[in-house]
Amino acid sequence: MNKKISAIPDNINLRLPGGFHLPPFGIQQVLALMIVCISLWAVGLIWLGMQGAGQWVGGWQDDIRIHVYLDAVDADKAAALKQGLEDIPQVAAVRQISAQEAAVWMQGWLSDVGMSQKELANHLPISFEITLLDEQAAFLFDDIRDVASRFGARVNEDEVNLAQAHHWIAQAKLLAWFASLILALAMALIISNTLRMTLLARADEIHLMRLMGAQEWFVRMPFILEGMVLGAGAGVAAWLLLWPVVIGTDEWLSTMQVDLSIAIMIFPLLLGGALVGTLGAAFATAKVSEGEVAVDE
Amino acid sequence: MSVEQSQINMQRLMLRYPSGKIALSGVTLDIKQGQFVYLVGESGAGKSSLLRMFYGGIRPSSGSLMVQGVDMRQAGESKVRELRRHTGIIFQDHKLLFSRTVFENVALPLRVQGWKTERLIPRVRKVLAYVGLGDRLWSYPEALSGGEQQRVAIARAMTAKPAVILADEPTGNLDVDTARRVLDYLMDLSRQGATVIMATHDLHLLESHPGRVIQLHAGALAGDGR
Repeated sequence: MNKKISAIPDNINLRLPGGFHLPPFGIQQVLALMIVCISLWAVGLIWLGMQGAGQWVGGWQDDIRIHVYLDAVDADKAAALKQGLEDIPQVAAVRQISAQEAAVWMQGWLSDVGMSQKELANHLPISFEITLLDEQAAFLFDDIRDVASRFGARVNEDEVNLAQAHHWIAQAKLLAWFASLILALAMALIISNTLRMTLLARADEIHLMRLMGAQEWFVRMPFILEGMVLGAGAGVAAWLLLWPVVIGTDEWLSTMQVDLSIAIMIFPLLLGGALVGTLGAAFATAKVSEGEVAVDE
Repeated sequence: MSVEQSQINMQRLMLRYPSGKIALSGVTLDIKQGQFVYLVGESGAGKSSLLRMFYGGIRPSSGSLMVQGVDMRQAGESKVRELRRHTGIIFQDHKLLFSRTVFENVALPLRVQGWKTERLIPRVRKVLAYVGLGDRLWSYPEALSGGEQQRVAIARAMTAKPAVILADEPTGNLDVDTARRVLDYLMDLSRQGATVIMATHDLHLLESHPGRVIQLHAGALAGDGR
């Protein structure tokens, strides 16, 4: 008998409000999901771009070294040049690369050159490797060029350009964070607004639950969950939408030795989406926490 | 015979709204457990305000009010929440959730109290059978008549076995026969030990369903008797 009385007919989908029960999704939620998805997609694109730029600059972007070449084989001049470079503020160290080391590196790089290490060493200039304290310091590269030109030496300008690209990427990274935060705020507001409409539509239910002694978390939790699911769902959808972009640009990017890793984007997009959704829901439900009527004391 | 416990006690109770209007003034009353109490009086006499104070919807401005042992002037949110879990409320307009089934409406107080679904199903079935709606569990309120909707509201109010049931003009929109049936249920709940306080204008019901009558006039106590 107990079994019979506890049973719910198969065609009945019991929807008890409050607690961890997710409210049903409607057209407003679907629209909000689409808008948040587009915003997260834009954020994903920005960070994929940053990832590509980072790879393009090279793995040594965090350990930038500039090379200076002196063609004349003059030990005194080389020593004076080394000293001059060491005297530049923001230069951490200057190392003279031995001819042997340079030849080994060159031979590895130009495997079909057909010369022995000794022959190669005779053709190579004296090379200095400069380690920088702060590649973003003002006039640093001008100072290096000045010292080098005083001794008739040359600075590897490709490395200087890459060092400065690193500087621009660092600036772009700040902008990317700023754009991500602005978009996150906009997404949270969109979700908040959507949930406010849901809250208004279900004001009677919320009021009743409170009259029955419901705890605040019990009343708010369905909306918080809805915001979280909405944001996380938008994050997954945005991640899926990044794939066509990556696949479409793969050939072009491979010419720049850029190989984007899209798989790792799922976590920040999923968690970021869930976070902005939860924040939006928290904004929305914060305003429904007031009591019923204020009365004079 | 056991000594009846005081469920609601108020001394020189006063309620003043922020607008300055005095809704209740100097009301002193004691309501015992299991009593059936009618609150009568003209519109604006303070009946609904008094009922709302009993569940912490509004707080007294001065005087004292103890409801189920809770000092309503000092009680914090958690105390009020706890008190509401032991209070059933019935409204004139039922306040049923029309997007939910009869079952879901009646199960709401139990859900709020954290009952698991398997546990609440037999209880909800039982109270709906008690009010004669055992066959309407999965109907939506809009498919029910006014009287049936009010019976759903009664079932919802009694499902968590509250010590106090507050009814704000529950028969206001019902015909005489249906109103009497609603009163039958409320009287029965009172006989089972619940304190029932009902604000009403339907004085003819007093003849068929006698109870303690508390009369309010312009926010003051104008009479108390049978």
